[in-house]
Amino acid sequence: MNNRKITLLGPEGTNLTLLTIFLILNFVSWLTLFTLSGGLSFNLQNSVFRQISFSILAVLLFFAITYVSLDQIYKYTFIFYGVISILLILLFATEPKEGVRRWFDLGVVDFQPSEYIKIGLVLFISRCITERYNKIYIGAISIIPIALVFFQPDLGTTTLLIVITLSMFIVSDIKTRNILSISLLGGVSFFGLLELGFVNSYQLNRITSFFESVDFAQSQSRLAISSGGFTGQFFEVDKVNQIFIPVQSTDFIFSAYAYQFGFLGVIILFGLWGFFFYRVARIILTTESDFEKFILAGFSASLIFQIFINISTVIGVIPVTGMPFPLLSLGGSSIVATAVIFGIINRIFIENNVVI
Amino acid sequence: MFYQQKFRILSLFIGFIFFGLLINIYNLQVVNRENAIISVNQQTLDTFYIPAPRGEIYDANNNKLASSSLEPHLFLNLRKVNDENRSQYEQYLKYNFPTLDNEDINELFESNKLLAKIINIQNLNFDNRQSLSGLDAFEIFDYPIRNYEYDNIASHVLGYLGEPSLEDIAIYPASINTNIVGKSGLERYYQNDLSGEPTQVIFKGSEIEQIVPSTPGKDIKISLDVNLQKIATESLLQGMELANDNFESRDEINKGAIVVLDIETNKVISMVSLPDYNPNNFVDGISKRDFNKLNITGAFNNYPIQGQYPPGSVFKVVAYWLAEQEKIYPEGLSSRSGRIDCKGSLAFGFNDGSQQVYNDWKEGGHGRVNLGASIKESCNVYFWDIALKIWRDFEGTSAESILQQYAKNLGFGSTSSIDLPYEASGVVPDRNLFEEWSISQPERVRPEGWLGGDLMNLIIGQGAITATPIQVANAYRTLISGKISNPFINLNNEQESREVEELDVSEDFISFLLDDLNSVTNEGGTAHASFSVLGKAVKDVGGKTGTAQNSGDKNNTSWFVGVDSITNPRYVIATVVEEGGSGSAIAAPITRRVIQSLRGLELTPVKFGEITE
Repeated sequence: MNNRKITLLGPEGTNLTLLTIFLILNFVSWLTLFTLSGGLSFNLQNSVFRQISFSILAVLLFFAITYVSLDQIYKYTFIFYGVISILLILLFATEPKEGVRRWFDLGVVDFQPSEYIKIGLVLFISRCITERYNKIYIGAISIIPIALVFFQPDLGTTTLLIVITLSMFIVSDIKTRNILSISLLGGVSFFGLLELGFVNSYQLNRITSFFESVDFAQSQSRLAISSGGFTGQFFEVDKVNQIFIPVQSTDFIFSAYAYQFGFLGVIILFGLWGFFFYRVARIILTTESDFEKFILAGFSASLIFQIFINISTVIGVIPVTGMPFPLLSLGGSSIVATAVIFGIINRIFIENNVVI
Repeated sequence: MFYQQKFRILSLFIGFIFFGLLINIYNLQVVNRENAIISVNQQTLDTFYIPAPRGEIYDANNNKLASSSLEPHLFLNLRKVNDENRSQYEQYLKYNFPTLDNEDINELFESNKLLAKIINIQNLNFDNRQSLSGLDAFEIFDYPIRNYEYDNIASHVLGYLGEPSLEDIAIYPASINTNIVGKSGLERYYQNDLSGEPTQVIFKGSEIEQIVPSTPGKDIKISLDVNLQKIATESLLQGMELANDNFESRDEINKGAIVVLDIETNKVISMVSLPDYNPNNFVDGISKRDFNKLNITGAFNNYPIQGQYPPGSVFKVVAYWLAEQEKIYPEGLSSRSGRIDCKGSLAFGFNDGSQQVYNDWKEGGHGRVNLGASIKESCNVYFWDIALKIWRDFEGTSAESILQQYAKNLGFGSTSSIDLPYEASGVVPDRNLFEEWSISQPERVRPEGWLGGDLMNLIIGQGAITATPIQVANAYRTLISGKISNPFINLNNEQESREVEELDVSEDFISFLLDDLNSVTNEGGTAHASFSVLGKAVKDVGGKTGTAQNSGDKNNTSWFVGVDSITNPRYVIATVVEEGGSGSAIAAPITRRVIQSLRGLELTPVKFGEITE
């Protein structure tokens, strides 16, 4: 597979478009956090400084991952998948924080294995489908980490993992009809679990209350987005004092972005991501390796679903779900995991001799 | 197998969904913008802040000194109280909470806040709490309770909490929200770390729309040893008792301080200030009357860092160092072993023609003394001779203030930069300062300005010089360790990055100094009577007595600086008792008891020593 001719930026090469988009998206995040925090100061309490630190780590990781060939990724897929799954099991031995077991406390930072199972699952299913294993077995083994995440409990990531699995199955040779019937079965059994009390009542409350009354945070978020107008407010912070949005630097950051940079900014953000997915789609359609196709499709599904859920929450068309906006929301785990995804995609680009 | 066709259809489908989202955002930002801005301008959001649990404070052995706990409190939502239902709520409160009097209840309803804190309902049972929450204007929130586990012990180090004044708000702007701020001690110095982020209760109109949970403050681990602190406090009280029994004093002798510094690191192991207070009394607010009562006793002064006293003979260590460093000895001597004949007084003349006689504290004098013996017996004449030598050699030149320079190098005349608020800097007088004072405070200086006699006063720690106990302790620690650094209390602080400067002292000098300090507590030394109880261990401890005269009819200030061991010096202890009469009789035995604790020896009560100086 190693027949590359042109390389840019280093011996293994880098796709310039991908790198540029990655850097711009990071920069947009700093800018938005800057308007929220009212300034940059050099300590880890300051959100801009924290995000910049994580971004630097992310860029380093992006380049480091680029050195790992797809052959190696293919070889170590099962080990990676297994290790992360074991970490997910070990989480149950930790002390719950606010009722959930989601992180390993590593002192300065927390380590969140569920961020990496998103990657592990995509690689696992890609390899299994490429090797033409029995699809029922693939599905059965995929369920294990999904169930582990479900019982953390982390409903948002569980849904994301299910969506990743289903979308990868849809573009495979499994009959769409079968997938739909399995999804139906899954839906029914979910409500079964609900009846038996396996799902926290607060999660249910969030869904039911959505239909009863307008969520305060969402109504405020909609007002903030509207106030942004077509061209945005551009760093005029004082006007936003009359609006209150919780977790504005993480899950609701899109409202701050839309407020500051307006509809124009939203179009640019959509454009950047759109262009990125367009480039990915082109590789999916031209590359000969099924492994690469499924990886790209799986990662795309993961990113697109996160963006979709995040924006839908912020503009209030679905109930509040704690889903960060990739590369925009404040948070180390999410940026680092997304950097790994970008690094692997970059490797696929250069192994296909696409450098610009 | 990858199905390209299904992938294309799926992509198209996703494209449509995102196009839909974009239209939705377009509607929000462009089509409906005007309406949204109108509702933004109409909506009034107000925030009520509930303090976060403050960070807890632990001593070096992880004993909890200050704790925080959350307890449910009943609050009154004043926006839901109107003329019609007010009396109903008043009745309810009077009936259910008999501890509230009418005045309290009236005050609640007159409050101009969004929520008024009514009462702690920690001890209320579930049913009663349920019935409370049935009433519309009642809200229940967790409110943090600060508790100081050892009451008065280390009260000045920990500090206390109170409502912020305008000055406090200027320094800690966030304190205006929670209406609580550290007023002194670590509570103030580390206010930003300890306070955390308050709970935000967001109101839209009279309804609570959103509650943003608090972030608790950061815990602090400090260098104090609470057991030693207790023993030191006890010892100081015992010493004051003795001082009151043995000396006449217009006011009760009740002010004093002890500082224990770790020689190697300059950690503060103990810091006692008396009189003290119980910081728990401030948690629910203290009455003006009680506050004033405490204030007039001086209980709010942290004497270890704020008490500025003439240091007396403990200051002689500066001249001791200078003599060795600069080879300046009394006229005719060329080394530390050379002896003068101390006859108990010194008559001398200056170039300006003045003729004076200075009397040593010991009538008849100390006989033939060298540098070491003049520390041991606290001979003034030997040091006056040094001062005369400096004056006669350098008067009017820049080297004239060489003694002051040495004092400043050891930290006198400036704050020690310890991590506590309101530290005083003390005074090291020189010609320039006297000239300044002759304009700003003419009553403090003679019209002639700075004279040789002032230098002679200074060298024995008398006259215009003042120093705080921490400065004195730190000066001795600096000489013994050979390192200049600031004392500190908070261990979480990035103390590794502290500046540590090397001091120009030789190993020889340090061992001479320790030996001479050792002679003070041994046979013939000024503090022997107070230390003989140590038995064999007396051979391994040391110190310096100081009895500083005060102007007016005030008693002498009692000083003692001790070092816990000569062979392996780990701690320096500085003790001062204001108007304590005599350093060797009062401060020395107090320090001795602290050393007993530091060395793990059996504690014996503070016993009145011998009045020497």
